Amino acid sequence: MTTIALDRLLPPEGVPLYFRVAGIGVRLAAQIADLLITGIGAVAIFVLVLTLDLISPGTAQAIAAMLFFVIRIPYYAVSELIWNGQTIGKRMMKIKVVSADGRALTTQSLVVRNLMKEAEIFLPGTLVLTLNAESLIPSLMSLAWVMGVLAVPLFNTRRQRLGDIVAGTYVIHLPKPILLSDMSKAVRPPRPAQTEFQFLSHQLEHYGAFELQTLESYLRGANRMAGPAEHARRKETVAAIVAQIRQKIDYADAVPVADQMLFLETFYKAQRAFLEQRQLFGDRREDKHHATSDKR
Amino acid sequence: MSDSDLIRSARFRQEREDDWRRLSDLVDKAETQGLHHMSFQEARDLADLYRQATTSLSIAREISLDRGLLDYLEALTSRAYLSVYAPQQRLGGIVRRFLTTGGPRAMRASWRSVLLGFLCMIAGALTGFAFYAENPEWFYVFMPSELAGNRGPDASAEYLRSVIYGEETGSGLGAFATFLFSHNTRIAIFAFGLGAFLCAPTILLIFYNGLILGVFYALHIQRGLGWDLFGWLSIHGVTELSAICIASAGGLKLGLAVLFPGQLTRRSALRAAGHDAVKLAIIAALMLMIAALLEGFGRQLVQDRTTRIAIGWGVGALWLSWLVLGGRQRS
Repeated sequence: MTTIALDRLLPPEGVPLYFRVAGIGVRLAAQIADLLITGIGAVAIFVLVLTLDLISPGTAQAIAAMLFFVIRIPYYAVSELIWNGQTIGKRMMKIKVVSADGRALTTQSLVVRNLMKEAEIFLPGTLVLTLNAESLIPSLMSLAWVMGVLAVPLFNTRRQRLGDIVAGTYVIHLPKPILLSDMSKAVRPPRPAQTEFQFLSHQLEHYGAFELQTLESYLRGANRMAGPAEHARRKETVAAIVAQIRQKIDYADAVPVADQMLFLETFYKAQRAFLEQRQLFGDRREDKHHATSDKR
Repeated sequence: MSDSDLIRSARFRQEREDDWRRLSDLVDKAETQGLHHMSFQEARDLADLYRQATTSLSIAREISLDRGLLDYLEALTSRAYLSVYAPQQRLGGIVRRFLTTGGPRAMRASWRSVLLGFLCMIAGALTGFAFYAENPEWFYVFMPSELAGNRGPDASAEYLRSVIYGEETGSGLGAFATFLFSHNTRIAIFAFGLGAFLCAPTILLIFYNGLILGVFYALHIQRGLGWDLFGWLSIHGVTELSAICIASAGGLKLGLAVLFPGQLTRRSALRAAGHDAVKLAIIAALMLMIAALLEGFGRQLVQDRTTRIAIGWGVGALWLSWLVLGGRQRS
C-alpha cells in the first residue's frame, strides 16, 4: 500500500507499542507461498494415492479436490497456532497476526479468521475459476463478490479483511531490533593541540528534536567506509552542514577543515544534552519552529 | 570515556544495554525453538526482562532523543511482547476441549438460530411439496437438472426404485469424495459464509434447499416410494441435512449480530457472535464428513430399508445426545 500505517497496540503492561500494519501486497505474497506449499502437499499425496491404485479414474478429480481442501483448511489455523500467528508464507514475508486487543491470540480467533478466509476468498475464487461461459451470471456474481471482499481491507486503517474483523485480529510487519551505537558516545577525543568546541546555551536554543535526529542519522552514515569519490562528496556535505549550523547558531570561531566531524559530533552531544534537559523540565521541542509554534 | 562525561540518557542506556541484549537473545530463542523448549530459568528471565524493557521504553520515550535507541527499544519490546503473549495451548487439548465442552455448549447457546435454520428448511420442504401437489411441472422449475439426473415426473416408478436400491458404480472412497463436493456441502458452506449479509441469503438458500427436497419427496410419494426414499435419504440425510441447518444457523447468528447488535457496536457484536458461529461451522463440517462416510460406504452396503432408517436415525440420535448432554457440568 502507499501509506504505511503505524498502529497502536496496548499490551497488558500499559506501555503502548507501535506496529507497522502489513499491506495487501505482502499478505498476498505470503498467501501465494502458502497456497503453493499446500498445493504441493496435496499433489504429493494424490500421486501417492494414484500409485497405490486405490481409486478409479472417474473419481480422481473429486479426490484431488478433496485432498486440497483437507490439507489446506487445517493448515492455516494449525500453523498459526503453533508458530504464534505465522504460517510458513508469513514467516517468509516476516509478517504476523496479532490480536487487536493486545492480548494473546486465542485458538478461537485464529480458527475464525482462517475459516472466514475459506468462505470469503477461496470458495468464490474457485467458483470463478471453475464456472464457464454457460453459467455467466454466477461467475460474474462470484467475481464481484471476490472483488468486494478484497476491497474491504482498503477501507480500514488496519487493513483487516472480514475474517480479521470477526476474529479481532490484524497483520503486522515483524519489527527488527537492531541496536545502533550511541552517537553521543562516539565523540572522538580532541587532539592535544586542539581547542575543544564549546557551545553556550543560547547557541543551543535554535534546534529541536527533528534536527537533532537528522544530524544523528547523518553522523551514523558518515562513519561508514567509502571510496575516494564518495569521500570527496562527503567532505563537501560536511562543510555545508557545518557552515549552516555555524550561521544558525551564530558560532563565531572558525572550524578547521580537519575538525569538521569533531565539531558536528560535539555539537550533537551538546545539543542532545540540552534538549533532553529541556524535555525533562517539560519543554519538549519537536523541531526548530518550537519557539513560534503554539505551545500546547 | 568516563561515566561522568556521558549525558544522562547515554548513562541510562549503558546501564541497561546488557539486559536488552540478553532479552534479544531470549526472544530469538523463543521464536525459533518455541517457549516449550526453553528452560524454566530462561522463560522466567524472558518475562522479567520483557517487563523491564517496557519500563525502559516508556522512560526512554520521555528522556531520550537518541533515535537509534528509541527504534531499537520499540522493536525489541514489540518482539518480546509477541513472544511473551503467544498462545500456550496444545493442539490435542484444543481438540479434546472442543469435543467435550466447547462444541455442545456453543450449540446449546445458539439453539434459537439452529431452530430457525431447521424451520426454514422445513418450511421450504412443505412449500415444495405443496407446489408439486398442485402441478408436477414445478419439479422442473425447482430441481437443478444435474442433481435430478433422469429422475423426474416422467420417470417410471421402476426406474426410481432402481436408483434407490441400485448398485452405484465407483469405489467407496470415490463416492465419499464426490459427495463432499456435492450440492449439499456447497449449500452448507455458502449458508454459513453468506450469513453475515443480513441473514437474507442464508434464509433464501436454505429455503430453496428445502424446496428441492420437497418436490423430490413429493415425486416419490406419488409413485408410492415414500418409505423407500425415506430410507434412502435417512441413512446419510439425517446427518447431512442437520449439518446444513447447523451451518446456516452459524450464518444466521452472524447476520443477526449485524442486524441487531444490541448495546454493542456492530463490529464487536459480530466478533461476539463469531465465537459460537465458528463452532457451529466446525460441528457442521464434522457432520458432513460423517454423512459422506455414510453415503460413500453405508448406503451401498446396506440395501434394506428398515436398516437404513435405523442407521440414519441412530446416528442422528447420537449427534443429538452429544449436543444435548456434552459438556454439562456435574453438579
